[in-house]
Amino acid sequence: MAETIVKIENLVKRYKDLIALDHLNLEIKQGEVFGLLGPNGSGKSTTINCLLSLLTFDKGSIEIFGKKMAPDNYEAKRNIGIIMQNVAVFDELTVIENIDYFCGLYIKDKSERKKCVQDAIEFTELQDFIHFYPKKLSGGLLRRLNIACGIAHKPKLIILDEPTVAVDPQSRNKILEGIQKLNEEGATIIYTSHYMEEVEQICTRIAIMDKGKKIAEGTKDELKKMIKNTETVSVEISEIPDDILEKLSTLPHVYSTDFNNGKLEVKCSGGKHNLIRILNVLQESDLHFGRVFSELPTLNDVFLEITGKALRDSD
Amino acid sequence: MFLHNLKYEFLQNIRAKSLILWLILFPIILGTFFKIAFSGIYESTTVFSAVPIAVVEDGDNSVFREVMTTLSEGDDALFETEYTNEDAAMEMLEAKKISGILYVAGEKLSITVTPAEGGPSAESIRQTIIKSFGEQYNAHCNIIADTVANSPEKISDVVSALSEDIKCNENIPLTNGNHDNMLSYYYNLIAMVALLGSDLGLNIAVSSQGNLSAIGARKCCSPTKKLVTIISSMVGCITVQTVCIIIAVSFLAFVLKVDFGSKLHMVYLAGSIGGMLGVSFGFAIGSIGRLGVNAKSAIATAFSLICCFFSGLMAGNMKAIVSTYAPWFNEINPAAVISDSLYCLNFYDDYERFTQKIVTMLIMTVVFTIIGFFLTRRRKYASL
Ligand SMILES: Nc1ncnc2c1ncn2[C@@H]1O[C@H](COP(=O)(O)OP(=O)(O)O)[C@@H](O)[C@H]1O
Ligand SMILES: [Mg+2]
Repeated sequence: MAETIVKIENLVKRYKDLIALDHLNLEIKQGEVFGLLGPNGSGKSTTINCLLSLLTFDKGSIEIFGKKMAPDNYEAKRNIGIIMQNVAVFDELTVIENIDYFCGLYIKDKSERKKCVQDAIEFTELQDFIHFYPKKLSGGLLRRLNIACGIAHKPKLIILDEPTVAVDPQSRNKILEGIQKLNEEGATIIYTSHYMEEVEQICTRIAIMDKGKKIAEGTKDELKKMIKNTETVSVEISEIPDDILEKLSTLPHVYSTDFNNGKLEVKCSGGKHNLIRILNVLQESDLHFGRVFSELPTLNDVFLEITGKALRDSD
Repeated sequence: MFLHNLKYEFLQNIRAKSLILWLILFPIILGTFFKIAFSGIYESTTVFSAVPIAVVEDGDNSVFREVMTTLSEGDDALFETEYTNEDAAMEMLEAKKISGILYVAGEKLSITVTPAEGGPSAESIRQTIIKSFGEQYNAHCNIIADTVANSPEKISDVVSALSEDIKCNENIPLTNGNHDNMLSYYYNLIAMVALLGSDLGLNIAVSSQGNLSAIGARKCCSPTKKLVTIISSMVGCITVQTVCIIIAVSFLAFVLKVDFGSKLHMVYLAGSIGGMLGVSFGFAIGSIGRLGVNAKSAIATAFSLICCFFSGLMAGNMKAIVSTYAPWFNEINPAAVISDSLYCLNFYDDYERFTQKIVTMLIMTVVFTIIGFFLTRRRKYASL
């Protein structure tokens, strides 16, 4: 059993009348890439800020590396790296100076620090930009600088709060790969996001949050097994008579049918050959149809089934 | 850790455009502007011209005639005198051909002037000279009469001493923008540079609080103690601010040749302490409330300029008005305290009042710093 790095118990945080965190429990183990997934406003940042002692909380306890977390737990802080949603660098300092400055808050020894800064620059592939000022960097490069500033001191626990917001897909992939590499090198990662694809892509364990509560937790496969959905079949079709729709819903394993804007969606739970049976019905009725997809459940389905709403309404 | 932080504090500050603009260029431009604006006034009225007067005699007074002759001679003549009768003199006065009439009756002298309206003007200065001469003559007519009687060769010495006395009379402002007034603009300019340093102090507070900036959050999460980063940032900012003050004072003293008197080194000292006051003031503002850095910066700058306004940066007589209606405000207005310290330095020989102003500045600095520390540390545990 791996060592527990972070233990959050019964955490409650209120903003006046709003309960931002409602008896939250989390346990994160050494070596994990732990994903905190939830829509905007679900309490991810609040969790992270409490964890880092940037925020006081009303109830509960937080332990990091086996010790109670507090603003003066400098030993814990020494081993944590943070990368926040907002880029936190000095406009008046160059790339290398920024990294050196933040690294210097952790590492006093000059030669050791120099090595760390160099490693961080290489890791984020900023070699060609070390003398640039942040204002001159593109969005993706700026995010990479933000990450370099957070990880240069080689922390054991790296906390990233939505580091890919407003980042182009290419840079996003680079960042995700980088995070996985840091994990392979031994760091434990806490990653928050409202993009389920990202979380699915890199996280070994995921907690889904909504309205300050943890609504589900496990590996992505475990999460998907929690729900009855196993397959969603979508068919592009211009029109479908009600009796056919009725017929589809009586097929074995089908538990929901929906037709909307030229798209038929049939949700199935278990069983084999669901796709063929559905297409057979359409063929017998002599209906023409366009593209057909069969999808395994996503975290969005998990979220949808538990909360009754989609993880993201837009974007 | 301390030095590491200090190094980057310096780098940040000297590269910040707003610093160069507000703390270095702005005072240079404003100082130059003052110099140009004042040089016109100064030159036009210090070229001292003789005051035209009429003398109406009642009987013969040889002593007085002797004095008037001496005063009306040469390049630096005080008066341009015409002997006439009363009616003619009144006519000339009304036609503004002369500035005043001297009546001589026996030993005594009396004067008539038509009071000039409004503030100090060339005319009112002339009248002050006439009045002053009347007072001096009446006060000293015995000595003068003695001299004329016993050693007439010394009369010119006595009279020129008299005329020097009149010119040096502190009630006679030599120009509209007289020396004191002009200096007070420069004093306020230095006070302004000192207070605009508040922007530096403000950044310290904002960037070390986890709830005010992303950088603050990052610093708060590091194992470096807040006290260490704050103190080293303070040292850095005060040093940079002191350099800016030295540049401003040096520019005024050596390039614009503003006469700060014989205690220039003390002007540097007072300016630097004022700079500390400015930085600590900004630090306090920065630590109050949850506004973002731009809003706070705007507040600090506006406040600094308002303080300077009441201290007379924009209108020289402002401080006098404040001292009439709210004298206590001049004691606590940081800009007024800074400019007063410089004033005291130049106009009093001893250091008593100067020291008093410096002590006031230091007390304010300490109070602001304590407020800043208290709020910044308390925030450590407060909500985002
Ligand atoms: N300083 C604050 N004052 C009041 N409410 C806040 C504050 N910060 C966050 N909240 C509220 O707390 C909830 C959780 O916010 P947050 O943790 O930022 O969500 P997330 O990071 O998941 O988007 C939201 O409803 C948000 O409006
Ligand atoms: Mg957030």
